[in-house]
Amino acid sequence: MIKLIGDKIILKKSSKLTISSFFIVLLICLPIIIIFSQIFTQNSDIWIHLTNTVLKEYIFNTFYIMIGVGIITFILGFTTAYLTSLYNFSYSRFFNYALVLPFALPTYIVAFIYAGMFDMTGSITTFFLNIFNTNISNIDFFDIMSIEGAIIVMSLVLYPYVYLTVKLYLSFESSAVINASKSMGISSYKIFYKVILPICRPAIIAGISLAIMEAISDFGVVDYYGVSTFVTGIFRTWFGMGSIQDACKLASLLIIFIFLIIFLEKLQRRNIKYKSSGKDFIPIYKTKLKGYKNILAFIICIIPFFFGFILPFMQMSYWFILSYKDIIDDQFLYILLNTIFLASISAFIIVILALLLTYNLKRKHTKTTNILVQISKLGYSIPGAVIAIGVLVLFSYIDNILIDSIKFLFNININLLLTGSIIAMIFGYIVRFISICINNYESTFSNIPSSYYNASKSMGINEKNTFKKVFSPLIKNTSYIAFLMIFIEVIKELPLSMILRPFNYDTLAIRSYELTQQGQIVESAVPSMFIVIFSMISIIFLISKTKKAYDNGL
Amino acid sequence: MYKEYKTLKLVSIISILLSSFLFSNEVNIYSHRHYDTDKKLFKIFEQNTGIKVNVIKAKASALINRIKNEGKNSPADVLITVDAGRLYKAKKSNILQSIDSKILKNNIPKNFRDKDNQWFGLTKRARVTLLSLKQTKDTKELTYEELASPKYKGKIVVRSSNNIYNQSLLSAIISHYGKDYALKWAKGVVANMARKPKGNDRSQVIAVASNIGDIAIANTYYIGKMVNNKKKSQREAIKKVKVIFPKFKKSGGTHINISGAGVTRYAPNRKNAIKFIEFLSSSQAQEIFAKANYEYPILKNIKSSKLVSSWGSFKDDTISMNDLGAYNKDAIKIFDKANWR
Repeated sequence: MIKLIGDKIILKKSSKLTISSFFIVLLICLPIIIIFSQIFTQNSDIWIHLTNTVLKEYIFNTFYIMIGVGIITFILGFTTAYLTSLYNFSYSRFFNYALVLPFALPTYIVAFIYAGMFDMTGSITTFFLNIFNTNISNIDFFDIMSIEGAIIVMSLVLYPYVYLTVKLYLSFESSAVINASKSMGISSYKIFYKVILPICRPAIIAGISLAIMEAISDFGVVDYYGVSTFVTGIFRTWFGMGSIQDACKLASLLIIFIFLIIFLEKLQRRNIKYKSSGKDFIPIYKTKLKGYKNILAFIICIIPFFFGFILPFMQMSYWFILSYKDIIDDQFLYILLNTIFLASISAFIIVILALLLTYNLKRKHTKTTNILVQISKLGYSIPGAVIAIGVLVLFSYIDNILIDSIKFLFNININLLLTGSIIAMIFGYIVRFISICINNYESTFSNIPSSYYNASKSMGINEKNTFKKVFSPLIKNTSYIAFLMIFIEVIKELPLSMILRPFNYDTLAIRSYELTQQGQIVESAVPSMFIVIFSMISIIFLISKTKKAYDNGL
Repeated sequence: MYKEYKTLKLVSIISILLSSFLFSNEVNIYSHRHYDTDKKLFKIFEQNTGIKVNVIKAKASALINRIKNEGKNSPADVLITVDAGRLYKAKKSNILQSIDSKILKNNIPKNFRDKDNQWFGLTKRARVTLLSLKQTKDTKELTYEELASPKYKGKIVVRSSNNIYNQSLLSAIISHYGKDYALKWAKGVVANMARKPKGNDRSQVIAVASNIGDIAIANTYYIGKMVNNKKKSQREAIKKVKVIFPKFKKSGGTHINISGAGVTRYAPNRKNAIKFIEFLSSSQAQEIFAKANYEYPILKNIKSSKLVSSWGSFKDDTISMNDLGAYNKDAIKIFDKANWR
């Protein structure tokens, strides 16, 4: 389906494509620009207060989380992707799927569960204290409810970003090089350092930057664990001190932070030396591991899977069994369908838009559009609630003009059309999540030589067929993965949905949040469980889909 | 199934669009209250009056912002918040209107409604301390001021100052004693903390139950929710502590906050909005607030639930509810200066 629509887009004249992609990306950037424009307002007394007291801490903690999550997600995601792509070992086929599963869990719920198990009064802590018959003050206790704890919890849920992007890249884009190096008898150690690590750089960085952006825009975990970051500061300034302007200013500083990351990523991509010839797409020949190596590989893979998925999932299942009877009713069914509908339609639109933007850039590199595409990627690092402000300002502005002009022209009173509609929600998701898709496509396109396009054109093949015959097969899997990631993100999304939603409109994440707010932690596991189940189904479905594609040799 | 749902969706979208052109008998609520008990109340109101209740729930500040942006075309009729500070802010943002209603004036005491009748308190909650049982012997008469005294060094557990209930408590202290004292007090409490502020109100109670600290600061209705919780750890924890209603030395009253509502400035269904708030102040609704959500009713002749009464009685603090909002910004600045994260 994605391919079909892609074809239709290409059918139109190429200049139209360029122009329309310019306007689309401009529209996506507007909310971000609205937020960012606040940085040029005069310094208020609140701003001066912030810079004098807490800003340093916000910057330090945010930076700490960036580095921490970056390193841990790299280690967990990269090693597991490397092992499962290049080797056969005990349960390696199972891990192929299983290692993505932590991605299905909402971060704030995992944080909640982990605190309940591992903090000073946690169930597991108390259990071990009882076994050793000792007291909390007698031991050197690692407090999970700290910035380090937050980093660990977030990394456990976010490493699949790195895992997925690297794995996709390895199995698909660079198999030829890897197979060649293997057949030349180069040691696996050398292959790792000299071939795989450099070749995967764009994918590693794309994955890590997604994980980092998600981590530093998080509110739920850091607020519960008592860590002050930019995001807690933004909410404190907005909700507590009532200053949206200063909240946006903080958000702008965060945006500058992220811009630096994106800039660095671009810079390194420009210097990239290793490039796959991209000629043949053959599955990687997997080496079978034996003995201690087999056990080691198994352990490396089971650790992130156990702590990122099994442990929190067991707790959730227990709570689910305790309370599903009280929560599931007709209303709940409606919420369920709502959420799926919203997530699939949003994911579909976002994938199409991202494809259009990145393909157009690949085809014809225009500077302004490129800058706008880079700006649009910032959305992912901005907390959902702040994006909601940008969308609200933009849409209510359009709405009020619309209403006034209709009243002037036809003398009819109408209500707000965009504000408080599903369109506003979907637009919010586009602004927030499109960077996930763009990152994925960019890393795929960067591996497809530009000569493909030129060659195809010089052979007299038209735009439509160039896309259909040359690019479409190459990006099919990226599209599936991107769709999957967005689908899951939207299902899990909370603040943006809450602020922009229409009347009487709930999603699973909102329902879960409301229950935790009422202190019904056990009951909140029911909607969360459905979030996890849907995410899991889509993960399994889509991975098997991509697997089929490269088993067939494509 | 999916196809059916799609048509259903389409029909509902069309009907929403159509309904926007027609006048319909409804009332649109923007609410910060996330409690399931409210759903029950809305249903009763619908049955009593035939007026359909439409709801959007989100944080009050976000809702206020949404109403502001929607401007004179906003569909919102009623704004409900869970604290007085946000009601004050809504009034300041010029998004509420004065309502002249005899019923509301009769039902709601003067100190729990705005002097221009722009907002009305509906329920009360007290911010209290929960003490470990071994502490209660010598602290029957605990004051808020005392929480900063060195004798409680290493004993207090409390959540982060991001939370509005802490902000309101400090606002009350500013209102009583001024900013300088408030800073001294906040620094004193920080010095007494048993651990860095984290978790929610319930986590503090659990911390006291597990001997991490001796004094937890929490809101009353959380206690009720812990007593009747599916989680055993919460039910066990609450048994190990005792509720103490601290007083302000100056007024002899306990710090309270209100959850309340106001009619928005451009409410398209103004009459229904007034009816709705009047209903929430009625004895029928107040009883549900008190029984199902462990809140203190505003209406005088309604009794609190058995469980809530068992914690003891208290006198309301005397400061104006408006002060909780007016000093909110100062409170946060003081928290920042005192290093209360």
